[in-house]
Amino acid sequence: MSVTELPGAAAPPPLDPERAAAFRAGLRDMAPAVPGVAAWGLVTGVAMVQSGLTLWQALGLSAFAYAGSAQLAALPLLAGGSPVWVIFLTALMVNLRFVIYAAALRKPFGHLPWPRRLWLGYFTGDITFVIFMRRQQQAPAWPQRDSYFLGLAIANWAAWHVASFAGILLAARIPAEWGLGLAGTLALVALLIPFCMRRAAAVGVLVASVVAVAAHGWPLRTGLLAAIACGVTAALVAERWQGRRGGAGAA
Amino acid sequence: MSEAWTWVAIGGVTLTTFITRAGLLLLGERLRLPVLVDQALAYAPACALAAIIVPDLVLADGAVSLDPSNFRLLAALVAAGVFVATRSFVATIAAGMAVFTALRLLA
Repeated sequence: MSVTELPGAAAPPPLDPERAAAFRAGLRDMAPAVPGVAAWGLVTGVAMVQSGLTLWQALGLSAFAYAGSAQLAALPLLAGGSPVWVIFLTALMVNLRFVIYAAALRKPFGHLPWPRRLWLGYFTGDITFVIFMRRQQQAPAWPQRDSYFLGLAIANWAAWHVASFAGILLAARIPAEWGLGLAGTLALVALLIPFCMRRAAAVGVLVASVVAVAAHGWPLRTGLLAAIACGVTAALVAERWQGRRGGAGAA
Repeated sequence: MSEAWTWVAIGGVTLTTFITRAGLLLLGERLRLPVLVDQALAYAPACALAAIIVPDLVLADGAVSLDPSNFRLLAALVAAGVFVATRSFVATIAAGMAVFTALRLLA
C-alpha cells in the first residue's frame, strides 16, 4: 500500500533549494504573530456562528472570503437581512486598505505570471504585508521574495483557518465575556508601534486615530476610509514640513 | 434572508477579497501612479491599522470612554508598553489579555 500524498499543501515551486529556504524563512518570520492571528480567527469563527449563520455558511464565508474584518463587518448585515449590494459595498470598503497593499506589492511582484499574482494577492493579510515590506526594504532585489511572501502567507492562512474553524465548532462553549477579540486587536497594536518611530508617521497615526473615532458612526464604515485619507495627508504634510526645517537647519 | 441569498452575499464578500487584493497587482505596472500616491503608500498601512484599532479600544457602546473602567484600553496600554520593552508578539498579547482578565474578574 502506498501512502497518498496530502493534497493542498501549497508548496513553493519545488526543487529549488534557495526558494525552499526563502519559503521556510517566511514561515519562521510569521511564527511570532501566529498566536495573535489564531486568537483573531477564533473570535471571528465564534462571532459568525453566534450571529446566526449556519455551520456551513460560517465555514464557507471563512474559507472563501478569508477577510476577518470584512467578515465581521458583514455579519450584522447578513443577520439583519440587508440587500446583497449593501453587504458587497460594506465588505469592499473595509477591504479597501488592501488596494493600498496591492499597489505597494506591484513593484516586487509585477513581473510574475498573472495566476501567481492573483494568488499572492488573494493571500495578502495585514500582518503578512507589514512583515514582507520590512524585509523588502532591506533587500529590494531578492529574487526569491515571492517564495518568502508565500511562506508568510501560508503560515498566516493556516493559523487563521485552523483557529477560525475551531471557533465555528466551539462557538457555543466560548463565553463572550472572555473578550477574546481583544487578542486580535493587541496583535495589531504590536504591528503598529514600529511604524510610529518615524515622526511623520506618528503624526499620521494620531490624526487617523482621532478621525476614526469621530467618524465611527458613518454609514458603511466610510469613517475608516476618511480616517486613513486624513492620516496619510497629515503624514505627508508633516514629512514636507520636517524636510524644509531640516534643510534650513543644515544650511 | 433566504438560504440562497446568504450564499450570494458570501460570494459577494469573497469577490471583494479578490478585487481589492489582486486587482492592482494584476494590472501590474502598466498603470502608473502619481509620485504623491507613491509617497502616500508608505504611510497608509500605519494609518489603516490605527483607524481599525483605536475606535475598537476607545469606544464602548458607541461612546468615547477614556476612564479606568475601560479595561480593554488599559490592557492595550500595558500591552503596548510590553511590546516597546520586549518586541515580542507573544509577550504583548499575553500581558494584555492577563491584565484584561484580571481586571474583569476583580471588578
